[in-house]
Amino acid sequence: MRTKKIVLICALILLILPGIIWAAGTQEAKDQTVVLKWPTIWVGQDTKTAMVATLVDEFNEMYTGKYRVEIEANPDYDAYRNKLNSQIAAGIVPDLFVFNPDPTSFAFYEGENLLMDFSDELASGWGDDFVPGSVEEATINGETKTVPFEMAYTPIWYNMDILKKAGVTSIPTTYDEFFAAADKIKAAGYIPTSQMTGGTNAWTSMLWFSHIAASLGGPDVWQKDITDPVFVQSAEILKEMFLNGNTSKDAVGGDAGVSGGHYLAGRSAIFINGPWYIGRVKSDAPDVFAATKIGPAPGAAYHGAQIGFPLSNLAAAYTDDQKKKEAVVAFMKWMTKPENVKRISLDSGAMFAIKYSVAPEEKINQLQAQFINAVNDASFINPSFSMKYTSDVVAEFGQALAKMVLGKATPEEFVQQIADKIR
Amino acid sequence: MHNKNWKQILLFLLPVLVLFTTYFIYPLGFVFVSSFTKWNGIRPMEFIGVKNYLQLLGDGTFRLALRNNIIWALVLGFIQVPLAAGMAMILARKPKGWKTFRTIYFLPNVISQVALAMMWLAIYNAEDGMLNNFLEIIGLSDLTRNWLGNMSTAFPAVLIQQVFYIGYFMIVIFASRMGISESYYEAAEIDGANVLQQEINITIPMLKGILITTMTLALAYGMRHFESTYLMTNGGPAHATSVMGILLYRDLGALNYGEANAIGSTLIIFGGATIAAIRWLFNRNNHTSDSIQ
Repeated sequence: MRTKKIVLICALILLILPGIIWAAGTQEAKDQTVVLKWPTIWVGQDTKTAMVATLVDEFNEMYTGKYRVEIEANPDYDAYRNKLNSQIAAGIVPDLFVFNPDPTSFAFYEGENLLMDFSDELASGWGDDFVPGSVEEATINGETKTVPFEMAYTPIWYNMDILKKAGVTSIPTTYDEFFAAADKIKAAGYIPTSQMTGGTNAWTSMLWFSHIAASLGGPDVWQKDITDPVFVQSAEILKEMFLNGNTSKDAVGGDAGVSGGHYLAGRSAIFINGPWYIGRVKSDAPDVFAATKIGPAPGAAYHGAQIGFPLSNLAAAYTDDQKKKEAVVAFMKWMTKPENVKRISLDSGAMFAIKYSVAPEEKINQLQAQFINAVNDASFINPSFSMKYTSDVVAEFGQALAKMVLGKATPEEFVQQIADKIR
Repeated sequence: MHNKNWKQILLFLLPVLVLFTTYFIYPLGFVFVSSFTKWNGIRPMEFIGVKNYLQLLGDGTFRLALRNNIIWALVLGFIQVPLAAGMAMILARKPKGWKTFRTIYFLPNVISQVALAMMWLAIYNAEDGMLNNFLEIIGLSDLTRNWLGNMSTAFPAVLIQQVFYIGYFMIVIFASRMGISESYYEAAEIDGANVLQQEINITIPMLKGILITTMTLALAYGMRHFESTYLMTNGGPAHATSVMGILLYRDLGALNYGEANAIGSTLIIFGGATIAAIRWLFNRNNHTSDSIQ
């Protein structure tokens, strides 16, 4: 009998103890500070890391005792995105997070009481800080549930030292000139272009496809069905960029590390990436940094197009807690304050959807200046393929591209494989 | 005794049962039920019957991934485990330096999969990789290629790098082998049996249980394989190395939860069927040999 009582008590303790520990862990501290957890990708090797951390520290100092933002490091972009998608779909939304403004993620706007709506605050003057059109791009059905932040402009990077050594005197303006230049670059012992079919979106080659489509189809090219002949022709040109030694041997299956690595190592002459890569090139490959010229892709029916799209927005979890909402809005306004955005931009090279001016005496590196000029000089700016379709379609692009480049599919079959994935 | 103590038994089992039901049975049931819906995690689930499964069956990429998973399971079960068993038997004989070899073989199991995948990416790299450089040095430059970017070589390349990581199974089998009394081997030696005969007639029969267990585990790992393929090729080129785990992961990323859960359910069913078939085969042979005796 006594043994039975002891056994019963032990079993009850085992059942209740975890509950007690959990409850103690969730007790709010006596401290009145509103703490906002921010899992972010702007950590580690990201060029914005240092300035973002500085701004967070300054915000915390400014609002000591009232608000505090705590960064949670998430250095892997793809893992971060997948983790967030799963969490948000389960209704667990971080206090603050970085939102990918693409067709897949915009589905979260539909969720009731999922994301915080900033429409009212943006309409009350805050929205004037943003580049025209950017707030509208983040607005669906009258709700602006994310705040525009980082922009991606992805012009072409030309290593002029390699071009010069190869006897190429100017940036190619047509695809015939491009492939003629490629032959000279190969003869000089260099790789004409960096390409890739790997990663989650075949980034470099996907951007090339977007540029080629823009040069063939113009500003409204994405209104066309993916099986339109303009995309078949784009695929033919992109395929040629992989063949006959026009890219590295490891391009098929290679990821962004391979593609960027060849450019940083001074082996490939032509590359595509966004302004966030400026800091990386400057620190890791100063010779390549000095030799790089930013320009448009070759043209066809259309010339001077650029690819540009919202890259990252700031977002927050919906809350009924007014104090928490005020904290979030205060932090969002702090991060999007023009002077602060300028600091991140000048430090990292990244470009943003917030307007700011640069005084003549303020140092802006030569690549950043070229980026700004390239965007200003663009005849039109188109979004990329990855902004037009959901992530599974974008993932299929790389697989279809590898199949086409390896000779297992024609350009027509390439576009059809993508079309079959579109729902 | 059984009737008297059932209450205490139930009481002790209750916490584990609650946790098991909450974190395994319920999610499993949810995955299966939601596999019959169209659901993006935001809108309410829309029941669509077996449409997700029909779509999968009609998808060539899915069939290819399923085939690749079965190959993974069979390679790990019928190549990796026998290699591990062979090495365990050799080490159990305690040749010179056996402790060093035991450590070397187990070392990859304590290194992260990410680090190992990065290492193999460097080995297989078409431009600067160790494998191509080695082939050039020994005069076989004709054999150099983009190992992970070629549809014929990518899948074998990813398979091969995994097969040789026998450390985990080797240690498990080795531990069981050390539990066999040396008197059996001494008696066999006296009877004139050589080392090979001893291993075949004493070790293997006595390790049958652990061999079946390790083989089952290897089959399970193969059916749910994901990590090294994702890290090295992400299922490419052109889906040549795709496995169901990668397709499922991609669908999750695209918020196609109904389809993802259909893949997950299929994985569970096929995995379970494969493992059950193998165990039936071994148990049938076991019963047959028992009846002969």
